[in-house]
Amino acid sequence: MDTRRTAIVLAALGTALGLSTVAAAQSQYPERPIKMIVPWAAGGDTDNIFRPFAAELQKQLGQPVVIANVTGASGTAGAREARNSPADGYTLYAVHDYIHLTYYAGISDVKYTDFEPICLVAATPSVLTASPKTPWKSWQDLAEDAKKRPGQITVGATLGSTSHIFPAMIEKASGVKFKYVSYEGLAPRMNAILGGHVDLTDSNLTQKGSVEAGLLKFIAIASEQRTPEAPNVPTLKELGMNIVYEVVRGVMAPKNTPAAVRQRLDQACTKAVTEPAFAASMKAQGTAVAHKNSADYAKFLDKIDGDNKAIMADLNLLKR
Amino acid sequence: MIDLLANGLVQIVQWKYLLPLLLGTVAGVIGGALPGVTITLTIIVVLPFTFGLDPLQGLAAMTGVYVGGSAGGLVTACLLGIPGTPSAIATTFEGFPMARGGQPGRAIWLGVWASFFGGLIGGAFLILVTGPLAKIALAFGPWEYFSLFILAMAMVAGLAEASLLKGVIATAIGLLITVIGTDPIMAVPRFNFGSEFIGAGFPFLPVLIGIFAFAQIMTDIEKMSAPKMAGAAGAAPSLRVAHLKVIGEILSRPFLLLWSSLVGIVIGVLPAIGGSAASVLAYDQAKKFSRRPEKFGSGVPEGIIASESSNNANVGGSLVTIMAFGIPGDAVTAVMLGAMTIHGITSGPLFMVKHSELAYGIYAAYILAHVLMVAVVWVCALFLLRIVNVRLAVLAPVVMTLCVIGAYALNNTMQGVYVLLLFGVIGYVLVKAGFPLAPLILGLILGDQIEINLIRAIMTDDNPWLFVTRPISGGLLLAAATSVGLAVWQHLRHQKKVAAAESEPNF
Repeated sequence: MDTRRTAIVLAALGTALGLSTVAAAQSQYPERPIKMIVPWAAGGDTDNIFRPFAAELQKQLGQPVVIANVTGASGTAGAREARNSPADGYTLYAVHDYIHLTYYAGISDVKYTDFEPICLVAATPSVLTASPKTPWKSWQDLAEDAKKRPGQITVGATLGSTSHIFPAMIEKASGVKFKYVSYEGLAPRMNAILGGHVDLTDSNLTQKGSVEAGLLKFIAIASEQRTPEAPNVPTLKELGMNIVYEVVRGVMAPKNTPAAVRQRLDQACTKAVTEPAFAASMKAQGTAVAHKNSADYAKFLDKIDGDNKAIMADLNLLKR
Repeated sequence: MIDLLANGLVQIVQWKYLLPLLLGTVAGVIGGALPGVTITLTIIVVLPFTFGLDPLQGLAAMTGVYVGGSAGGLVTACLLGIPGTPSAIATTFEGFPMARGGQPGRAIWLGVWASFFGGLIGGAFLILVTGPLAKIALAFGPWEYFSLFILAMAMVAGLAEASLLKGVIATAIGLLITVIGTDPIMAVPRFNFGSEFIGAGFPFLPVLIGIFAFAQIMTDIEKMSAPKMAGAAGAAPSLRVAHLKVIGEILSRPFLLLWSSLVGIVIGVLPAIGGSAASVLAYDQAKKFSRRPEKFGSGVPEGIIASESSNNANVGGSLVTIMAFGIPGDAVTAVMLGAMTIHGITSGPLFMVKHSELAYGIYAAYILAHVLMVAVVWVCALFLLRIVNVRLAVLAPVVMTLCVIGAYALNNTMQGVYVLLLFGVIGYVLVKAGFPLAPLILGLILGDQIEINLIRAIMTDDNPWLFVTRPISGGLLLAAATSVGLAVWQHLRHQKKVAAAESEPNF
């Protein structure tokens, strides 16, 4: 009898405690460090954009925001881990357009709708970049050479992701044919292209330093207009290809993350992206701060998902 | 250059920089000593604290972690027979038997001083020949990587004294483990039998801890009921060490020290391989060059010196590519690069020119971190060495618990713990069956990279002869073939000797 009563009391106490912690968790979020999953290697461009962002975000939230680089399988490993994480606001997911592409390419079963959008952070125009060991001085040289030997010029790319789609769009617009080699993430691609093991790759203005040192060649940039950061690099539009391609990066949380938590994160994000320090570090990386709050980001995601699907269908890469 | 370095040293000995460097070194030693806590993890934990500091303060702290971590790993390797960090794998082979043999102090200090000298040699190369060294990294395409990994495995499979075949089988088991999960190119699930549990493959760290720690502890427990072991019997093993004698032991083998450091530097310069492979390869080299290879495994100083000097020189090597190109060679330097980016410093080929003060500050921090590392271990050793006096009945459960926590903390899921358990059993069975563990671990480390580079090579050019006709790649494959041939020949000779010695009285 006695033990039973004790058990009941304990159970009641436990429930009360449990409820109070739930309530506390909601009112005081965040009360412990937050993990931000970056699905690419540390030191890559996505990582370099989200590290300064995480630093600003944690100032706003008052808790450490720790980057976890969960790499592998074209960013799918990180996406899966983020999807399977508890929806309590303590796991965030740093994402870019690849989520749409890998889904439609049949590489990944994770869709952007598996997450709650928090905010859009930055946009980086792609730059077609050539190895110093290639003979080309301009896009015209490259196009001429590529037409002479179709399917022989190698492109280092994360297959099914942005670095694959961007050159593929150029292929389609100009009628050339490349050969793709799997190099996952910007850092390994840079190693390969500096050493001349691939001829071309998709990079961005972060590699300006290497271009100035004569170790890389920028062929063309996929922005609307030439950028003041690299005024000598022509846009693809000038070269007669109607391609504007920016990699947009944002933050999401697992599906069913409580609305209050999302709102808190949305606010913190809005403040974080307007910090001058963040703007400065983005400028150093050839990236524009491109903020959208969670409502606008959600609409934007729907739009670019459609766009990406269309691109994939256009390129005959659609598998879903 | 010398005056730039001197400036760097003068700068770094200011309290402002010395303190973060010291704290980083302490954190590194502790993190390195805990099995399951890697240097990468420690550095990620330290990273947020560096945001508020100036760039060099932050980088000094991280350099301290990097250098201290590899020393911490050797302490656990020597005292418990478990690599505290993966790069201390080969240190367990000799350090642990030596500690068990009643000389734990000698084992640890051989390791610490070898780390010290190896690190300094690595530093000298880092400062003097960054440019040419970095060119090696660029000359390596997928063909060269593939052939290098084949050479590494060929060398280590030949390590097994008893049987080349068992070494090869162990390597194959290591490779097979990496095949399970998703393929590294297109993320197609394979060999997972539709199971969520192994859907993403087996994470490296729990497998490593499982195979080493559990197998080690199980074997220890077996011996517990048996009469006390030789060295451990009687009075407490000597904890006092004559440092000059230990240093003398290292410096009297200058060729070994230099060669092991060189192995470490080259492996460090090449991205994505890491200190664990460096330590195993240097150990293998030490054994090959030794006049008494049969003694290896019983606690010879050469093994400790090779392993520890190479893994610290490796740190210098991996700093080379980041200095030369701003491309991180491993996870640790990647986090350092991230820290620079956060402070708005653009890395890249012009880093050394544009930020020479910072670059030489890092060099100075790297050198000074080795001095601090010795000092930190000096203080810690007073407590650490007492571990050998703790009764196994107390020690074994504590170590096991630490291992399980480490495996859990990796992703905060139970998957790591189950993997640990599974591979604990597998490791134990393999040890009992006389399979060497080093080749298995190397197969495990290199498996993904071998596959990726093989596929890359074929995707780039479908001509398979390139593996042979590209000079570096062909040379590496030739060396691999020679290494296997040599191992077979040594083995035959060894058998003949044994046969000659035994044939008369017994058969």
